[in-house]
Amino acid sequence: MKFRLDPQLLVPLAALVVVAAVVALTSDRFLDPGNLGNLSLQASIVALIAIGSTVVIFTGGIDLSAGSMVALLTMILAVAIRDAGLPLEAALVLVLLTGIALGAFNGIVSAYLRIPSFITTLAGLIAFRGMALLFNNGSPIFSLDPRLEPIFYGSLAGIPLPFVYIVFFYAVAAVFMGRTRTGRKIYAVGGNPSAARLSGIKVERIQTTAFVIAGFMTAVGAILMAARLNSGSPNYGQTLELQAIAAAVVGGASLAGGRGNVLATLAGSFLIVVVQNGLNLNAVPSSIQNIILGAIILLAVGIDMWRSELTRAFAALLRRRPFH
Amino acid sequence: MTAAFSPASPAPPVLEVDRVSKRYPGVLANDAVSFSMFPGRIHGLLGENGSGKSTIIKTLSGVQRPDSGVLRIHGRPVSFADPVEARKAGIATVFQEFSIVPTLTVTENIHLGRMPRGRLGLVDWEAMRAATAEILTRLGVDIDPEAIVGRLSVAGQQMVEIAKAVATGASILILDEPTAALGLDEIAQLHALLRRMRAQGASMLYVSHRLDEVVSLVDDVTILRNGKVASAAGATEVTIDRIVAAMIGSEVGEHYPKSRNARDRVVLEAKGISTLQGARDVDLTLREGEVLGLGGVLGAGRTEIARALFGADALTAGEILLDGRKLRLSSPADAVAAGLALISENRKFDGLFPNFTGKANISIASLDRIMLRGLLRPDLEDANARRLVEELEITASAPDKAVGHLSGGNQQKVILARWLMTGARILILDEPTQGIDVGAKLAIYRLINRLTAEGKSVILISSDHEELLAMSDRIAIVRQGTVTRVAPAGALSHTDLVKASDDAGTDGASHEIPA
Repeated sequence: MKFRLDPQLLVPLAALVVVAAVVALTSDRFLDPGNLGNLSLQASIVALIAIGSTVVIFTGGIDLSAGSMVALLTMILAVAIRDAGLPLEAALVLVLLTGIALGAFNGIVSAYLRIPSFITTLAGLIAFRGMALLFNNGSPIFSLDPRLEPIFYGSLAGIPLPFVYIVFFYAVAAVFMGRTRTGRKIYAVGGNPSAARLSGIKVERIQTTAFVIAGFMTAVGAILMAARLNSGSPNYGQTLELQAIAAAVVGGASLAGGRGNVLATLAGSFLIVVVQNGLNLNAVPSSIQNIILGAIILLAVGIDMWRSELTRAFAALLRRRPFH
Repeated sequence: MTAAFSPASPAPPVLEVDRVSKRYPGVLANDAVSFSMFPGRIHGLLGENGSGKSTIIKTLSGVQRPDSGVLRIHGRPVSFADPVEARKAGIATVFQEFSIVPTLTVTENIHLGRMPRGRLGLVDWEAMRAATAEILTRLGVDIDPEAIVGRLSVAGQQMVEIAKAVATGASILILDEPTAALGLDEIAQLHALLRRMRAQGASMLYVSHRLDEVVSLVDDVTILRNGKVASAAGATEVTIDRIVAAMIGSEVGEHYPKSRNARDRVVLEAKGISTLQGARDVDLTLREGEVLGLGGVLGAGRTEIARALFGADALTAGEILLDGRKLRLSSPADAVAAGLALISENRKFDGLFPNFTGKANISIASLDRIMLRGLLRPDLEDANARRLVEELEITASAPDKAVGHLSGGNQQKVILARWLMTGARILILDEPTQGIDVGAKLAIYRLINRLTAEGKSVILISSDHEELLAMSDRIAIVRQGTVTRVAPAGALSHTDLVKASDDAGTDGASHEIPA
């Protein structure tokens, strides 16, 4: 628990700079303003969803269902607008509430019914996409509402809206984790659930809360995804949950729970998207891209697991070097 | 090893423990401990909790290395890097937790990790069955070699464990509280087995709380007290009274600054409470300003009673009254809200948040007290933590340090600080001084005095009998999950407590261990 700028932020930021430099060297189009803008817009969706993934990871759980939930929610939005004829505002509220409800479901099943969250949300990963395919015979729905696109492409005082969302939601998340009772209890539950229980914390309620937050942030991401292409599709959001988890882990959140800084997840999100962008610019096929995403996740989790060994090795390296 | 003190032992010792010392942070757990084990003899190792028995067992079984001193097997010095090496040297340890695989058969367990191979590298089942039958017959154990071990009784599983040790060619068998989970008949069966093995020349180290069975079984006895050998083999006649005298010692114990603050008003009352986890029909009363001690052996059910009172385990019967009003506890959160605190026996598993600094560990149960306009205030948290750190004489760096880097005593005080901050008025302290140094112990005793002087009440669970007698106003003896006797601490002697708790458990009725 740190309340200042701490090394947990600096490491992922440094990693981001290094990766960006490497990508810039391999492709001269990377630094093109158009590309950077595009990349940032793309990163915003991952970054917003990753807030939820990170909070769940802080409690010691994991949410694998985010990507499929995005698909389901964009289809619900599309059907609500096109078939049910709901006004856009009502449809958006419906999507947010559905995200909260699905998150609550994930939380209740894993916390109160004690099915490990890995399994609960793995079931969600499969089932939510299945549900998305139930709508419109499994086909995407296009041209939803002309007022939808500005939610993604609009700007406020010259700043693209996705950045405004990022600043807003990350600021709220940082205050929530660092300065509220629930945030502190989330770290406590992740650090030692049985001590948390004996300290009077309602552990199951806290775990469920984390999943509700994840469901809500996934809904926010789904709205941006739908707004970006003014459509809903059961194919949206594939591997998004893994990108979000990778963003959290690259940002230093410990999969064991209880440790990490939510702001570092923002750097982690950009890092993941910069890698993808670099691969796209170099025309690496998507098959290879998936392999690389897998490798990044392994590496990031490995760094988490080997943290104490790496620290020791690093310290030994420093000791060996004469400083005077 | 002088012949005058040691009963005739023609054979040279199998194992010699020679001035072995082991220090843990803040405590010298073994201080130049020496004893020898001979073939065909059972050696009893006795001592109260904290006397250093487990430490020496860990050294002998290769779990840890001694700081100084030598182990010799058949006269040759040995040193073990890990339990596997100890095993190879011929020392097998049967712990309270078995190392058998419950889903496999007796035969498979006995040969686990060293199954005989036949042609094509496949397991040679014939050879395995034959070897198993041979061992079981030799030991006189009547167990079906094809039985699934998990379906056997505890005693049966233990015999498989022993058979496994014998099958690996162990010449020295260490039994750590082997009868803790056994009934009287099963104890008799186990002892019969050990006697047969003794007749066949095995050398055994027998560690137990139950003095009556030790007296009936062992040939030699070494008694530890405060990490030192208080009585070497042959020095003490093997009778219960002599052993108790040697375990307790006659020297003046540590200083216990006890102040008596108990008043008449009853604050907490348990009426016939039971839980699935092992509290059975418990009646207790706790008065304002009182320290109520819970005495009994490990596993007697004291922790289970504490958890029941705190709402950590659900009640299946009975009720709890706080200030005469029924207290409904659906979770520890209710107990905390009602002003209870539980400092659990196992700091690491149930107490500390390893991911938090000292101050976050202190404030976690009273976050409301460091809030202002809906947000946690780091400055309030800091100020509160510093006040408590000073009050409890915790090391000054504790608030900002990760708790894992603090000493055991400081960790314990951090947890106490957590519950002082909540303003709890009923504190259940489960082994609060276990594994911490003398200075920290004294600080905890003084804290207990201060709390009771303020009218707060304490339930003290301790396996340190001296501490329990000195710090309690009344003591409830717990056996098999229930309170069997309550008496003023002054009316109980140390000997009463050792005998009452070390008893195998049938309410004062004497029982013989059949030979």
